[in-house]
Amino acid sequence: MKKLIILLVILTLMFGLIGCGQKTTDTNSKQATPTSNTASSPLIGSKNEKYVMVTFVSGIEYWKGAFKGMEAAAKNLGVSVQYTGANEYDINQEVTVLEQVISQKPDGILVTAINPDAMAVPIKKALDAGIPVVTFDADSPKSGRYSFLATSNYQAGVTAARYLAKLTGGKGEVALITIPGQLNHEERAAGFKETLAKEFPEMKLVSVQDGKSDQVATAQAMGAIMQTFPNLVGVFTTEASTGVGAATAVKEANKVGKVHIVSFDTDKGTLDNIKAGVIDATLAQGTWHMGYWGMMFLYHLKHDLLKPIDGDWKTAKVLPLPPVVDTGVTVVTKENADFYYSK
Amino acid sequence: MNIMEKSETNISSSRKIKFKPFKTLFSIREASLATIILITATAMTFLTPGFMTRSNILTTLIGLSMDGIITVAMTIVLVMGGIDLGVGSVLAFASVLAGVLAIKVGLNIWLAVFITLLASVSAGSLVGYFVTRIGLSPFITTLGMMSIARGLAYVLTKGSPLSLGVISPAFDYIGQGSFLGIPNLILILILLVLIFDFLMRRSAVFRQIYYVGSNEKAARLSGINVDRIKFGVYVLSALLSGLAGILTLARFGVATPTAGVGAELRAIAGAVIGGASLSGGEGTIIGALLGVILVALVNDALILLNVSVYWQSLVTGIVLIAAVTIDMLAHHRRTS
Repeated sequence: MKKLIILLVILTLMFGLIGCGQKTTDTNSKQATPTSNTASSPLIGSKNEKYVMVTFVSGIEYWKGAFKGMEAAAKNLGVSVQYTGANEYDINQEVTVLEQVISQKPDGILVTAINPDAMAVPIKKALDAGIPVVTFDADSPKSGRYSFLATSNYQAGVTAARYLAKLTGGKGEVALITIPGQLNHEERAAGFKETLAKEFPEMKLVSVQDGKSDQVATAQAMGAIMQTFPNLVGVFTTEASTGVGAATAVKEANKVGKVHIVSFDTDKGTLDNIKAGVIDATLAQGTWHMGYWGMMFLYHLKHDLLKPIDGDWKTAKVLPLPPVVDTGVTVVTKENADFYYSK
Repeated sequence: MNIMEKSETNISSSRKIKFKPFKTLFSIREASLATIILITATAMTFLTPGFMTRSNILTTLIGLSMDGIITVAMTIVLVMGGIDLGVGSVLAFASVLAGVLAIKVGLNIWLAVFITLLASVSAGSLVGYFVTRIGLSPFITTLGMMSIARGLAYVLTKGSPLSLGVISPAFDYIGQGSFLGIPNLILILILLVLIFDFLMRRSAVFRQIYYVGSNEKAARLSGINVDRIKFGVYVLSALLSGLAGILTLARFGVATPTAGVGAELRAIAGAVIGGASLSGGEGTIIGALLGVILVALVNDALILLNVSVYWQSLVTGIVLIAAVTIDMLAHHRRTS
């Protein structure tokens, strides 16, 4: 008897916690079709509509910006949104989560693909079930998704090169610390290298190192670079943790102000370093736009508001949306760093 | 006198029989787990419409199938009184090796699978050798294997995932197809669970694993070849992990060096929820499967009920502690 009571208490606790953790996006009446006020604008949706964002490594700060954008769009449209994803960097987890979300029959899915091929299968399943799907930040091009929103990594590299050139007066020895083998980083590195070669012949790229997504490894690599090339004037790091590691190394070598750092993304560590003057600038990706316009795309698809040609775009096999959208990159410096702290 | 005593005992024992099945039910780990799963599933069916759908149930089961195979391996190792921290990494290594052999080297996929299984057996043999002959602790040895196997996976792919494309329809069928309406991965998991549960309960050789785990010295003194048992179990564990890796490749058509990260801890959690003890000598395969199902069910519930992602890891931990606590109290009752 005692065991049974304890069993029931623990179960109640579990469900109680689940209740606590539940978001307040409510769905009181489960209507199958979204209702919209046909008398006025079709852009007024109903709270019964639910759009879901699916990510991987769902707990990191990076996705927060994207979801904020999605929430802003949802508020303007009057619909509900949900954030979910795989806790870890695991294909099986994200595929499972996406398929579980599909079984809930949401009105649209905004997903970032941990792997383009593995995610193509569940995305196709969603599309076959009549659920509109748009990808952001990491694409699954063969899945049949309606559009893809992301910041062009190559262009980001170009911007970094130009800004670093501005800081160093267009001449001197510079380095690059990146994550070889990862597509988005390779593209950033390519943009950087090619712009330096084309537009700034007096700048020389003397070293390319692997930051291993780890502050400590990067700090070591950066220290080594500064030892080998004492006249180094700048470095571009293609990832946030890499930038923080490089900043630490520059501080420890007492070269703040002599070695300029241009980094990536806007996590707190990076922003703090910018305000302290150790990192000169970072590149913020348009994550808010990925969420906001992704949500807008999904709503338009769900409510069939797109008419790129006279007649049905499906039968005419015309794309309903721009297939790829570049959400751009902003250079964040001491002047505007405060705006990027997440609240 | 004797007759009087006998009749007294008869009456009191018949009174006890009424409550006995109930008490025994809850002191059997599998039964209480199955009950919790049923209660949770029923609650979920009422709380959200998307739960009791074919697609959701199948997805959840497929999602846990790889972890399930790893948990079968981990349970056997735990029953033996050991531990294998390398299961997730061997999964990744096998997945990558099979992929690289098939795509980069251009071997026939089945030959690649065979070589990969051999490689997994080698990995397990290496662990077994260091534990039995050299005498290193299983924790340290398998911790080392965890890094080595994962490292090899990274070296083989240079960090980037490898896409298989359509290598062989038969291979893809195993990972993605169904038989009689049930996805093959679920069938394979059920088959392995039934086989190993049977072996662990009925096979004389596998029963020895329990003796070794309960009291290694006594097992050795009673004539059991403890070293052989240990060696065999580590080889089996690596073989099952390798199989899980190959099935992962068949399922996704992609070989990633990051597959199976954290699988070892999930497997330990599943096995322990299912009744295994970290000190050895206890645990069943069916219990472990129920443990894995419970955790997967709770995770599914969190997603369908729109619970914040930050709670997911927390809840898994709570389920683990709760399940172990309930069992501790059940044990306490029985012995006191």
